[in-house]
Amino acid sequence: MSGPIGKRTPYIEAVQKVTGQAQFAEDFHFSNMLYVKFLRSPHTHAKIQNINLSKAKKLAGVCAISIGRDLPIPFGVLPISPDETAMAVNKVRYIGEIVAAVAAESEKIAHEACSLIEVDYEPIRDFLEPDDSLIDCSPDEQIHSHSKNGTNVHKVAELYFNDPKKAIQNSDISCTRTFKFAGVTHGFTEPHATVAQWNDDETLKVITATQVPHYLQKYLSKVLEIPLHKIRVIKPVVGGGFGGKSDPFPHEIITSYLSIKTHRPVKCVFTREEVFISNHGRHPTKMTLSVGADKQGKITGLDTDIVIDGGSYGSFGVVTSYYNGVLLQGPYRINEFGFTTTRTYTNKPQCGAMRGHGAVNPRYAMEVIIDELSHSLKMDPCDFREKNFLPANTLTVGQLRITSNGVLDCLKAVREKSAWDERYGNMPDGRGLGIACGFFISGSALPINWNRYPQTVVHTKLDFDGRVVIFSGASDIGQGSDTMLVQITAEELGITMDRVQVEVADTKLTPVDLGSYSSRVTFMVGNAAKSSSIKLRDELIKTISKEKNIKPESIQFENNRIFTEDKSLNMSWDEGVEICLAGRGSIVTMGYYISPQLGGKFKGSGAGLSPSYSFGAFISEVSVDKKTGAVKVEKVWGAHDCGKALNPLAVEGQIEGSIHMGLGQAISEELVYENGQFLNSNFIDYKIPSTLDTPDMDVTIIESDDKEGPYGAKEAGEGPIHPVLPAIGNAIFDAVRVRMYELPITPDKVLRAIKEKI
Amino acid sequence: MSVKSYLKPQSVTDALIMAKTHANYLYFAGGTDIQVYLKQQLIKPDHIIDLSDIGELQNIASNDENISIGSMTTLDAISKNNSIYKDFPLIVEAAQSIGTPVIRKTATVGGNILVNNRCNFYNQSFGWRQAIGSCLRDVGDLCQVTKTSGKCFSRNVSDLAAALFCLDAKVIISNQNEGLELSIVDLYNQDGIDFHKHLDHDGILTKIILPIDAGSTWFKKLRIRNTLDFSSLTIAAKVYDNRNFRIGLNGVSMSPVLITGNLDMIDLEGIKSLARKSCKTVDNDMMPLKYRREMIDVYLDQWWVSIQK
Ligand SMILES: Cc1cc2nc3c(=O)[nH]c(=O)nc-3n(C[C@H](O)[C@H](O)[C@H](O)COP(=O)(O)OP(=O)(O)OC[C@H]3O[C@@H](n4cnc5c(N)ncnc54)[C@H](O)[C@@H]3O)c2cc1C
Ligand code: SF4
Repeated sequence: MSGPIGKRTPYIEAVQKVTGQAQFAEDFHFSNMLYVKFLRSPHTHAKIQNINLSKAKKLAGVCAISIGRDLPIPFGVLPISPDETAMAVNKVRYIGEIVAAVAAESEKIAHEACSLIEVDYEPIRDFLEPDDSLIDCSPDEQIHSHSKNGTNVHKVAELYFNDPKKAIQNSDISCTRTFKFAGVTHGFTEPHATVAQWNDDETLKVITATQVPHYLQKYLSKVLEIPLHKIRVIKPVVGGGFGGKSDPFPHEIITSYLSIKTHRPVKCVFTREEVFISNHGRHPTKMTLSVGADKQGKITGLDTDIVIDGGSYGSFGVVTSYYNGVLLQGPYRINEFGFTTTRTYTNKPQCGAMRGHGAVNPRYAMEVIIDELSHSLKMDPCDFREKNFLPANTLTVGQLRITSNGVLDCLKAVREKSAWDERYGNMPDGRGLGIACGFFISGSALPINWNRYPQTVVHTKLDFDGRVVIFSGASDIGQGSDTMLVQITAEELGITMDRVQVEVADTKLTPVDLGSYSSRVTFMVGNAAKSSSIKLRDELIKTISKEKNIKPESIQFENNRIFTEDKSLNMSWDEGVEICLAGRGSIVTMGYYISPQLGGKFKGSGAGLSPSYSFGAFISEVSVDKKTGAVKVEKVWGAHDCGKALNPLAVEGQIEGSIHMGLGQAISEELVYENGQFLNSNFIDYKIPSTLDTPDMDVTIIESDDKEGPYGAKEAGEGPIHPVLPAIGNAIFDAVRVRMYELPITPDKVLRAIKEKI
Repeated sequence: MSVKSYLKPQSVTDALIMAKTHANYLYFAGGTDIQVYLKQQLIKPDHIIDLSDIGELQNIASNDENISIGSMTTLDAISKNNSIYKDFPLIVEAAQSIGTPVIRKTATVGGNILVNNRCNFYNQSFGWRQAIGSCLRDVGDLCQVTKTSGKCFSRNVSDLAAALFCLDAKVIISNQNEGLELSIVDLYNQDGIDFHKHLDHDGILTKIILPIDAGSTWFKKLRIRNTLDFSSLTIAAKVYDNRNFRIGLNGVSMSPVLITGNLDMIDLEGIKSLARKSCKTVDNDMMPLKYRREMIDVYLDQWWVSIQK
């Protein structure tokens, strides 16, 4: 490849970001703008008996107030569970739920007006723990009336292939353990922010920190009852998402509504506490996992029972429920396989999708149990894993289609680099190594809103100035997708990246892309961008070959020049553009991506289907202070198979970021609930590791060259997080011989485990 | 927050005059502690008196016997001062354990000594506190930790205080009645609401005086992360002439705790038992109570091992 593909390429917006020029949603100011603040529920579960707005309305500077019944149409990111309204209607389901919203001349006035709103509540029995939500209650007490069988269960997802229970029972050895995982949240830097503007032509413009502009457009249309074609959602520069900005949010709908009501621009910016309350993070989880193996170390079966605490609304919960189970089908061959996941509603802020969606906690459990089985068999845990790896080009028991697979190379790389064979099991007391592998989807093959359109469409425009503009709905939220689009287009057209510009994530200007979630963008949008730029190149070739009477197949593009090998043609890009556009002017080509038909014909078969899967193996080295229980992660070696690193710099960044984020969930991060509200909704008490806590990292990129990915690429944004946590847990065992079944692995838990062992 | 005036006196005398003439004022040093309190509506002053222009509060001076540190000296500045570094490495270690490098550029020594007591159930937003029914220290009737109405157990978290206790520091306070010099130990009350003493009559902490004398010191702070976190337990200890010792503990009680004695008169178990008795530790920190209590023993063990060498 002669262009930027495969080269370490700084993000195209990097300078703007580090010099403070990049415009985030909060940076948009319009004259005559109003500011919105919310009145939130002080109750976990209560009927709203009365709302008295009279005092608030009288406050000078208040322009509009809205309450739940103004926006009663339910929505939810998954069309199968539209259980949420923009504000509480009739009852509140968690502390912090929005009950009323005030738009005023200043934030201060809006805030004060909220304090003047009087609400009478009648508390209802609350359900704060999933175990309570599993048992029967009266219809009046149910968090949502649609929960089945008089409980507060939201979803039971289960899939069984063959007879895993029996297989495990009949195995030479087996291991069953119960694990507990605290809830964690995304911790992105930029708080949620939205600016909405209702225009004179009765169109709505919404500039918002989102990962899913097109889904938001759809739900704005639904709840506000405005036709889709009148709504324009713009994603500006976004300061991180990790799944936490991938739902349509109440504040986005309310801010839009207030703009419509007042005919003025309205802005909403969350405080950090509101970001925490909004949550949508990883579900607190309890799971019991059983895995069997034969004497040779072959896995004979897997069976797991999982309860996840969904909080008060659905969000991505149905998908999460399935992902908890189905994504255990790799990277090991397991033919007897089954899981049941129960997602409960509780009176707490809702959980949703977070980096590594649904699969991070089960991965921890699986990799820890594999470690235990290897120990029981006196087998090296790397060897055990190697024996069980799925090959390339195969189907799993649940018919996930595996194509490229570099897991073995990943394992070999980290094993060698960490000097595993010499050091594992031979380190001084208190120091240890741990290994874990991972597996994740490269985009969900099925869209969450079923439709007949492609997953994504990209338009590429060429104009007289020689500039190429890519129009794509893809949402760059910091993962580098804008840069990826430019790299691909520059590569295909043989031009330098400065000639390519992007117009992205604007539902008026850019074709539909479903959003930045499930690690789909590089694979799907990358393919669409490639196909669109190839069409543009073909158009150039066609016109130039005709005008210059040269064989089309001999024309090449490189370094802003269009030429043939023998130099009978040797022109600049601009000359080529002039020929191509002669007599017709600017042209636009189009590329799209449709996922292949995949999967079986059973209920739930769609879950976990992806055109491709990423793999990884990570080893971590820890030291444990046996007197205090404090764990220090000294070094992590991470090898990730991303098919082909279109931008190695970005892939390294994703792997390093995953190590940091995984480290947080492993040893320090935890959403602590106190009667249904977070005790630690700030960055002092919610313990994201600092630079001083972050270990040395050694990153290896494995390129397995996926046959369907653009240039062989697949995902790198989520997969690398999975092995990080269990590699740490397993290293702690190597260091001090205690197994940690509860995350985060805080010093008090380690110390307790050490004491219990003695 | 609706503050009526923001005042910037140029001298301590000016500041005291402003304090006298402006009811419901707040002294503002680096502001790194109180700005959060203002934002969370835990304090609602009408006037802010910013001490940062007062040059006389920013001096570090030394002679053969002691070093005096102006209360408005930043934590960053004391960490970089050669005399302090040479004679009081303990102070440097304690200062560098506070907040982050950015916070230490603004945070002052005086502000740290007088940092407000903390509690998980109190250091929260207005809405959060409202949802739990608030607490004794705010506008409620009950302590949310003990579920009783008697006493507040919010924690003093000043890391410097632990160090200054064991260094036998003195503090100088200027007030409307001219001022006083007292041992730092006398600055604190074992009370989670009224945690400072001797600051009445608009008292301004102006100086900290550290006697220069020999001795070996030791410092350790318990926290989850290696930076940023407030203390869950800080222990500073000093052994000096003829095996005398002073140990300052903080983060585990309503005020810093001082334990003194002679190593020939008391053994480790005796010191641990004294520490346990002196600390009124309750479950109001992110780290579990049992663990924090256990760590008092573990840290004292570690200190003990260090002094045997
Ligand atoms: C993220 C973060 C982390 C932190 N970590 C720590 C930590 O690890 N350890 C720790 O101890 N603190 C910590 N703090 C709290 C605070 O930053 C420090 O205690 C700091 O030293 C306070 O100093 P300041 O000058 O900013 O005080 P200010 O906030 O200005 O004042 C604190 C209090 O002292 C009073 N005051 C200040 N100076 C005087 C004076 N001269 N006379 C009379 N009254 C005065 C003020 O009225 C106020 O009540 C942290 C704060 C943050 C935001
Ligand atoms: S210890 Fe009790 S009274 Fe004191 S701040 Fe905490 S909850 Fe309030």
